[in-house]
Amino acid sequence: MASLPKRIIKETERLVSDPVPGITAQPHEDNLRYFQVTIEGPQQSPYESGVFQLELFLPDDYPMEAPKVRFLTKIYHPNIDRLGRICLDVLKTNWSPALQIRTVLLSVQALLASPNPNDPLANDVAEDWIRNEDAAIAKAREWTQLYAK
Amino acid sequence: MGNVPGKLENEGVARPNRSMSASAAQTPSGRNGTTTAGARSQRTSSLVGTLLSSRRRSSSSEVNGNGNPYKRKSTKDKEKMEERHVKQLIVKYNETVDGGFLAPFGSCGTDKLDYDAKVVKNLIMERRLAPFYTPLQDFDDSWSREEVIKIIEALPLHAPFNENLETFEDVPIGDLSQNDIDHLIDKTLSRREQRRMRSKIFKARLYKKRIIWQERENERFFESKIEGKQSKLQSNPNLPSDDLKYAMYSSGAECPICFLYYPQPINMSRCCLQPICSECFVQIKRAEPHFPHDEEDPSNPQDEEKDPNMLTSEPTNCPYCATPDFGITYEAPADRKVGLQGLAPSSYVYHKKDSPEQDSVPRTPDRRGSLASTDQRVVTSDSLRPDWQVKLNKERMRLARRSANATAIHVSNQLVTPGHQASAGVTSTSAPRSNSNDNAVEFQHSSPTPLWPANATAAEIENHMIEQAIKLSLAEHERENSPKKR
Ligand SMILES: [Zn+2]
Ligand SMILES: [Zn+2]
Repeated sequence: MASLPKRIIKETERLVSDPVPGITAQPHEDNLRYFQVTIEGPQQSPYESGVFQLELFLPDDYPMEAPKVRFLTKIYHPNIDRLGRICLDVLKTNWSPALQIRTVLLSVQALLASPNPNDPLANDVAEDWIRNEDAAIAKAREWTQLYAK
Repeated sequence: MGNVPGKLENEGVARPNRSMSASAAQTPSGRNGTTTAGARSQRTSSLVGTLLSSRRRSSSSEVNGNGNPYKRKSTKDKEKMEERHVKQLIVKYNETVDGGFLAPFGSCGTDKLDYDAKVVKNLIMERRLAPFYTPLQDFDDSWSREEVIKIIEALPLHAPFNENLETFEDVPIGDLSQNDIDHLIDKTLSRREQRRMRSKIFKARLYKKRIIWQERENERFFESKIEGKQSKLQSNPNLPSDDLKYAMYSSGAECPICFLYYPQPINMSRCCLQPICSECFVQIKRAEPHFPHDEEDPSNPQDEEKDPNMLTSEPTNCPYCATPDFGITYEAPADRKVGLQGLAPSSYVYHKKDSPEQDSVPRTPDRRGSLASTDQRVVTSDSLRPDWQVKLNKERMRLARRSANATAIHVSNQLVTPGHQASAGVTSTSAPRSNSNDNAVEFQHSSPTPLWPANATAAEIENHMIEQAIKLSLAEHERENSPKKR
């Protein structure tokens, strides 16, 4: 593999020296483009008090191409599917090379605080969410207790 | 060639036109062979119409320049073009502009730099785009003048390259000085595998060649530096003076995208006045052609079932403020005009400015507001890849060909095999029979005098159609233009 671009080195350094509250990102020893990430569920959300594991990978074309991010912890959320894939505009069409790992993870955290069932990735969850929001939120809370401890 | 980008921008090679199919549906309908095949072939023919209309729109320079961009190129021609492109990405130490170069350092690798190298070189020479400077990983304000000069002195022309790439490990590359690679291909493989092998061999060879070309240029660079040191009188005029090195790097800036440190001035986004280095700017390009809302809905139907005319590619957005149609401006340093069309870099003398008021060299005032993408000073992303429209149309053609293939298989099942044809009439899956207006019946009538040889594949037929369309359009184009020209 080619040497690591300056940008990735600097971003990693800043993530460690100036961490984002509620978020950790640790590069893998063998592959410095692969990060193990944890995100704390935002307060007053059904994910509160949960700690979610994610993986983040910086493709060869990063930052021209968006990082690949996926939930490893099971989560009940209309914009996150069973495989942990995330429906988030900044990870897809609205990615910009001026965004960073930090901003992406903050966006994921914000997505936990405000699920958007009208632009779903997990259709069944979104349907539940629209049909009976209270029940869906209760289920999300339950899953947080079960899987994100 | 220098003003081609501007021209393209103004005359508009046209934005992706979503309503193309509306005007394009008027292809000759007398051809029974194609009209019966249903919706799919209609798309194919409307695509021919799209091509016709896009040919009409394209500028004459495109037609006269490299010939017909839609014509299929032979593998050898494609390889030659790719090799020429890679050659243009090699930094030449004696081709400098304001202390920078005409080709990129290659911090992020160079195999993905698919911009039009000719266009970019011209823009740099015209001082409309910042040259490709050699970046520093870091800069420390406490460095003395001597330290800065020493560090700059030691910089290579190109970013270090991995000599032996894993992907090319077992690929036979043969003698690099020989152009013919046919003998390296395993002839016992299937045709498709032979083609794949050829492409792999070509890539591996080009990779090696690139390293050799870069090293050769690096050696020349260092040799001329050493010669300059040995005989102070006869130093190479293309090498920067110590003053130039210091003037450039002592007051640089970090590019917010690659985090590398570059001399100033740097390119500024047209919309929000944010800096961006040239190496990052040339990497920002349109997404590959795609169907609208592809991303939002992963449960989309197969590509073949969609109308190729719907395929789009949007102009790039500003990475900082998301304004569409990204573009930059560059204001060359008036007091540092060296290199091509300027003073010899070796003769540059640094005039220390005590304060801005005492600045003896009049400088053009820096831009404060944002500029339209059509402004003459602006260089847009699209202008660095003037072939984006051709690429989009080609992708549409490829899709159309694929769906035409499917149509042809469908048609030939009904038509070419007599037994199948007979049974097709009986099975319930076929169209309702016994109506004289019925498509299938009509098709049978026309079959004794096919327009194509019976064994022609759908791809061949489609190619032929497109060729005809292009010929027609070229002829039309000439008719339209000839009275004006004389
Ligand atoms: Zn940059
Ligand atoms: Zn902007």
